[in-house]
Amino acid sequence: MPMSDVAIKVENLSKKYELGTLGAGSLRELFAGIFSSKKAREEFWALRDLTFEIKQGDIVGVVGKNGAGKSTLLKVLSRITQPTTGRAEINGRVSSLLEVGTGFNPELTGKENIFLNGTILGMTRSEIARKYDEIVEFSGVARFLDTPVKHYSSGMYVRLAFAVAAHLEPEILIIDEVLAVGDSEFQQKCLGKMGEVSKSGRTILFVSHNMSAVMSLCNKGILLRQGQLIEQGPIGNIVTHYMHANRNDTHDKNLVNVSNRNGNGNFRFTKWELTDTEGMPVENGMSGRDVQFHLYFEINEPSVRPVHFSLRIVDDFDRSILHMSTTHTPTGEFKIPAAAKSGKVVITVPRVPLPAGIYSIHLFVSDLNVVFDEINFAGDFKVEEGDYFGNGKTIDPKLAVVYQSSSWQLVTQ
Amino acid sequence: MAKIIIDSGKKFRGLGLRELIASRDLFYTLAWRDFKIRYSQTFIGVLWGVLQPAVQITVLWLVFSHFIGVQTGGTPYLAFLLCGLSPWAFFSFVVNNSGNSIIGAQDMVKKVYFPRLVIPISKAALGLIDFTIYLCILFVILAVYHIVPPGQVIFLPLFILMNVIAALSVGIWLSALSIRYRDFQFIIPIVVQLGFYVTPVIYPAERVINGLPKWATYIYFLNPMAGIIQGFRWCLLDAPPPSEYAYISFGIIALIFASGVYFFRRVEYVMSDII
Repeated sequence: MPMSDVAIKVENLSKKYELGTLGAGSLRELFAGIFSSKKAREEFWALRDLTFEIKQGDIVGVVGKNGAGKSTLLKVLSRITQPTTGRAEINGRVSSLLEVGTGFNPELTGKENIFLNGTILGMTRSEIARKYDEIVEFSGVARFLDTPVKHYSSGMYVRLAFAVAAHLEPEILIIDEVLAVGDSEFQQKCLGKMGEVSKSGRTILFVSHNMSAVMSLCNKGILLRQGQLIEQGPIGNIVTHYMHANRNDTHDKNLVNVSNRNGNGNFRFTKWELTDTEGMPVENGMSGRDVQFHLYFEINEPSVRPVHFSLRIVDDFDRSILHMSTTHTPTGEFKIPAAAKSGKVVITVPRVPLPAGIYSIHLFVSDLNVVFDEINFAGDFKVEEGDYFGNGKTIDPKLAVVYQSSSWQLVTQ
Repeated sequence: MAKIIIDSGKKFRGLGLRELIASRDLFYTLAWRDFKIRYSQTFIGVLWGVLQPAVQITVLWLVFSHFIGVQTGGTPYLAFLLCGLSPWAFFSFVVNNSGNSIIGAQDMVKKVYFPRLVIPISKAALGLIDFTIYLCILFVILAVYHIVPPGQVIFLPLFILMNVIAALSVGIWLSALSIRYRDFQFIIPIVVQLGFYVTPVIYPAERVINGLPKWATYIYFLNPMAGIIQGFRWCLLDAPPPSEYAYISFGIIALIFASGVYFFRRVEYVMSDII
């Protein structure tokens, strides 16, 4: 049989869920169903007519907003759930990692859980025994292997769980957002390990909201929106497309109708504005020029605790470039009069240190305990080319993501 | 190279026996996990495995032999009781545990693919440990009463096998049903409790055959365990051989097994969606 260079071939794949019948039923419903006409159920297509191919050795980032169908796609390809229509052909042994530590039992020791989790992920006991020392080494919890994992810190738990997963040796690896847990140092270690795996010619399908992780790991990408395949191609194009699609309408800085937000609504952002330091509205920012952000909010429930605001500026690759907050100022959080019904905060950013480009802004307000309102992609912040360094020069964007002026002295002897 | 086809059109894909055998390590690990956890953080540990049946046997013996005086035709009641209680204890353990097993393993079912049959079967494996303890107690009692099993004892493995299949089949049915209809979580313990009395565990099956009209006896033997327990007593105590009614029990076992596995495989593909 000739070796096919296609690892995964998907044809017209769809997955339908029937809302309201997703959960388990009861006998009463069964009998009610027999005697009454079938009630109309609301249908929801989590995946709609996907057709694509993935070549052996490709590392594919599956990109899309929440609800775009990324996880459903991985579940179908992992054979956890059955597609409603279509088919998929997978050439090679598959391991899927939709969660770290599946099946971990708190009563069992670290060592016992390595074997338990390993066999659940599809390894044989002898395979685990062979890699055992390596797994222990990678986890860094060697001292606690005879302790029940219920006594582990959550960090140790994740390390051990990921150490097992990192030693899977499938031909095709399917990974869902599992790197969202664990500290950043360990995440880097895991990404490094995955990079190793991918260099050995394995095919990887990777879902993450962390665009810089996707960018550094993947070479190809698939963009999903509302269950449909929007674009397939080199990862750079996919991420750019995704980030652009996330933007609000550039000129609409009204936030009243933004539905994609978190928080309890005690405070809600209503709009934002950009001005110069005189308070005159401006369309865009400019490198090296002062700018002010005005964040307007309404108060639905006064806060007795001091209120904390933050503004995050994120670039095209979903990297957080600047984070400005009341925590990081000399004056700190604001005490807001109980009678106030609305207000605004003004953030002055001296000499915008960003190269020209389109950034998005993310807003956040809380009492440092409860989130009142959080809006990601609250709008675009466009930065024009400016004279940051006062000498008309700019920096190659490959060399720096932010500008920093500096003074130099020469000392010779 | 392994090739996996995922096809929405195909609803039933055979028994998947090969895949099941390939998952034997998982099956072993799950059974071992349950065993480990059962006695974790207990003071006397595995001794509970012996103490529990010992207490149960003593109570049943006192009540039904001494206070009620069940007639067993000369056979010591303890030996008679254990021939019924051993297979029944295994059956009720497996039905109770594998009935809820898929719901109990839902975190795994939603996140990892493996043949789901591994879950109820691993519960049956765990039950075999208890079953062995009961059988050991049984053989000790036979020795104490100087009862030498008759020649037909060579058929005992056959009845043990039937016992395992019967328990597993009912367990498989219930594990698949209870995912969609959680009511079974409450029905199972009730049925198992009732089953103890409508199965000839504490009294001889002959009392039913002689005491009930023919049609009622037919219904009685729809219980798969009725025939098996008759078989146990025939093999070990030289009791009358399984009656012609017992063949109903045996037929039911085959039917439940085939239909249970078929049903399970059919719903296997929607398990993670409805659990």
